[in-house]
Amino acid sequence: MEYSKYHKTIVQSLLDGKFLLRNEPEFIELREKEEFYSEFFKASFDYELKVTTDYSYLISSETSEITSRDICIFFALICYELDRDGKNFIDELNYAEFEISQVENYFANSAYIDLIHSNKQLKDKDSRKNFINMLSRRSIIEKRSEEKFTFTPAYKVFIDFARDLARKRMEEQQPTA
Amino acid sequence: MRTEPKTILYFLWHYYEPIQELFDAQSRDGYIRKETLKEICGRHGHDIEGKLTEYKILKNVNTDYEFRTVFYGLLEFIMNEFKPMLPETIEKYHHSISELFRKIRKGVHEEKFILMQRLTDLTSETRDFSEGVENNTLKLLAKTRELKANMEKVDYRDKIRKASEWIEYYILPMNKILDIHHTSSIANKLFEIANFANEKRLLVSEEQTRQAFEKLYYFLLQTNDDLLRQSKILTNELLPLIERIRTESIILSGFIEFLKDPFDVPVPQMLKTSRDMVYNRHMELNATEFWEQFERVEKVYINEAGSGKPAWLFDREAYKDKLDKSLPVEDFFDFLGTEWNEKQEVFDEEKFFAFTTLLFEEDLKLEFPDKSSQHRIRTENMTYRVPKIKVDKNGIF
Repeated sequence: MEYSKYHKTIVQSLLDGKFLLRNEPEFIELREKEEFYSEFFKASFDYELKVTTDYSYLISSETSEITSRDICIFFALICYELDRDGKNFIDELNYAEFEISQVENYFANSAYIDLIHSNKQLKDKDSRKNFINMLSRRSIIEKRSEEKFTFTPAYKVFIDFARDLARKRMEEQQPTA
Repeated sequence: MRTEPKTILYFLWHYYEPIQELFDAQSRDGYIRKETLKEICGRHGHDIEGKLTEYKILKNVNTDYEFRTVFYGLLEFIMNEFKPMLPETIEKYHHSISELFRKIRKGVHEEKFILMQRLTDLTSETRDFSEGVENNTLKLLAKTRELKANMEKVDYRDKIRKASEWIEYYILPMNKILDIHHTSSIANKLFEIANFANEKRLLVSEEQTRQAFEKLYYFLLQTNDDLLRQSKILTNELLPLIERIRTESIILSGFIEFLKDPFDVPVPQMLKTSRDMVYNRHMELNATEFWEQFERVEKVYINEAGSGKPAWLFDREAYKDKLDKSLPVEDFFDFLGTEWNEKQEVFDEEKFFAFTTLLFEEDLKLEFPDKSSQHRIRTENMTYRVPKIKVDKNGIF
């Protein structure tokens, strides 16, 4: 079998915990050979390959739960503060360029300050800087400069998580017939 | 005696503030309580209860009051404070317009004045319908934007509920009413009437009737344009806006639920990476831990001079003892040379002088048998000329 020229990058990126994004040639290649790569990652590492129209990433049963939870907290706080700031947070996540100072400001004045202080990855400016670098390494954000970044379509994983959670809670609260 | 129209209008203008408050009260509660009327009038310092009923602005409902429809409509219009009508309320026009159209089509050649009346009524009903739709759209748009801006700090869950209700009960049924491609929609019926009027304005021979159809035709063209615009507002702006409110509210509700207890909810699974890059945030900690294992617990001394040579210490007692055992010594420096050759160490100035100090021990007797006879002693950097010294035990001890 002949492998594509992106094979190494695809495998390496996904194994590094990165998201492959719709505008990348590796992603286009991956989507075309989705079946092969799903089997490949399952057979080689027992990892599950997730492919949507916007992004692709790997998940494993031995999940990086702390990281994922901290990312969810980060998104929850950002969306909450953007909404409080009178902005359409979905538009902002889709199109806006964020400044680190703006994010810092949101965190410093957040009503969830106790939660922030108790979180190792988000507790202070330096931790948050490392955290944002981690988001960049995983292609959840794209750094435009040291001070500016945009969100990639990978943010949808965490938005979908919130939507599903809300629906689940609403169903739980509905009186059973 | 009937009141002059100008008097009524002047009254409305002069007492606008309490009248506006009464309007708000009725909009809120459905009627105006007697106590509310007294309280509002009292607060503004007016005694206008009698005039309000005398000018037929208010009417009694049991012991309470309400605005007469015409005044309520007028106030609604000038304040732009419409309550959106339920689409089923607007739907009534479908029946009246269809019925009038059926009769017009059937009796187009019958009694002329009845036809004229029906055409006028049809225009009037269509106008009412169109205005109802416009008011509804504008009001819903305003309310939706208000909900979006969330000035009243409505809870996210209430936002979802409101947005969902508006979609279900107002926007989707309104869209259906305005869908010209749907055969049972009012818009479709008006389109059919417009085609009929167009045909008649060209074919009817009687002048006045032809003109009436022409008037109706152009009116319907205008109405269809208006309705199309309303339909576009509904589908292009209102529906997406309210869908967005619903979506955003659901997402925010989810995030707020999550933030209440972030450790109680299963989060999305992600790959756990194992590589530690040099810029990994744990790297500093790992490196510290690595170096700490080499740290010595016992004390160490560092020679600051940094010569690297261990310091030489003169063991005076050992050498004195050795000298004592060899006494009498015929030549001290000869003894010293022999002694040092055995050690095969570097012999420097420090060692030479250290040994020489042994000669000053009090228990030793020194003799200089031949002062002219001298030895040469080489140290690392120097050569010394020394006399022959005989050493023996001092007789005193």
